Amino acid sequence: MEMLLMGLCMSVFGLGIAALAFGAATRSESSNSKPNAQPALPLVQAVAPAHFFSDRVAAPPPVPPAPAWPVPIEVLLLQIENHVRMEQAAAESFLACPTHAQLHSKTSSPFVN
Amino acid sequence: MTYELLNGLTSAEADEVLGLGTRLLVPAGTELFRLGDPADRLFLTERGRIRLTLPMQVRGREEDIFVEERSPGQTVGWSALIPPYRFTLTATASLQEAKVIALSREPLREYFAANPAAGYKIALNLAVVIGHRLQLFQTMWVREMQRTVEVRSV
Repeated sequence: MEMLLMGLCMSVFGLGIAALAFGAATRSESSNSKPNAQPALPLVQAVAPAHFFSDRVAAPPPVPPAPAWPVPIEVLLLQIENHVRMEQAAAESFLACPTHAQLHSKTSSPFVN
Repeated sequence: MTYELLNGLTSAEADEVLGLGTRLLVPAGTELFRLGDPADRLFLTERGRIRLTLPMQVRGREEDIFVEERSPGQTVGWSALIPPYRFTLTATASLQEAKVIALSREPLREYFAANPAAGYKIALNLAVVIGHRLQLFQTMWVREMQRTVEVRSV
């Protein structure tokens, strides 16, 4: 008889514990489902794009190589000046003796040849 | 020293005109005037050479490109007598110091009004200077155009 009563008490106690646990579980779920109770999230700030190995120094953007001019600009300007002088001399020759041949005589200026 | 602008004038007339001027020293490489500046004086080159240049874009940079060089006796800056009285070139003393005689427009005009015969001769001389520049550059222009046509026709 005593054993039966002990088993019954233990069963009632276990049932009570199970009921409490169930009640606690269902209360937290229902409170989480309320939208207004959710705390405001911080705004996402603009972030840099993700990089792998971000602790390394980023390589600078590639700079297009300067065009390799065949002659320095000082030389080019001298060539232009020489060309103008030669063309003036040719024009002076034409004005001294105006003929078609003089007008369209080929220049020996290296700037255009 | 003879000046192309004073050809045909008597020595008395030439002295009177030169007396209207102011002598200026232009150190080597110094600009006498720049393109677009108001032109109220023309210059007679007395010593040294004056380079005339025009701006041109060369490899993305503005460069003064040689156009012409004026020697002693020659005239620079005739825009001072031709409307709209703005210089159309830049003038710079060449490798050595230049000496010029600056003649202001108003005293020259007054002298021409008082001495029309001398004014007429100077006007004719100025026409020769301007006409020569025009003929020279139209010749150079047509030669450049001819080259362009030949290149495009290939």
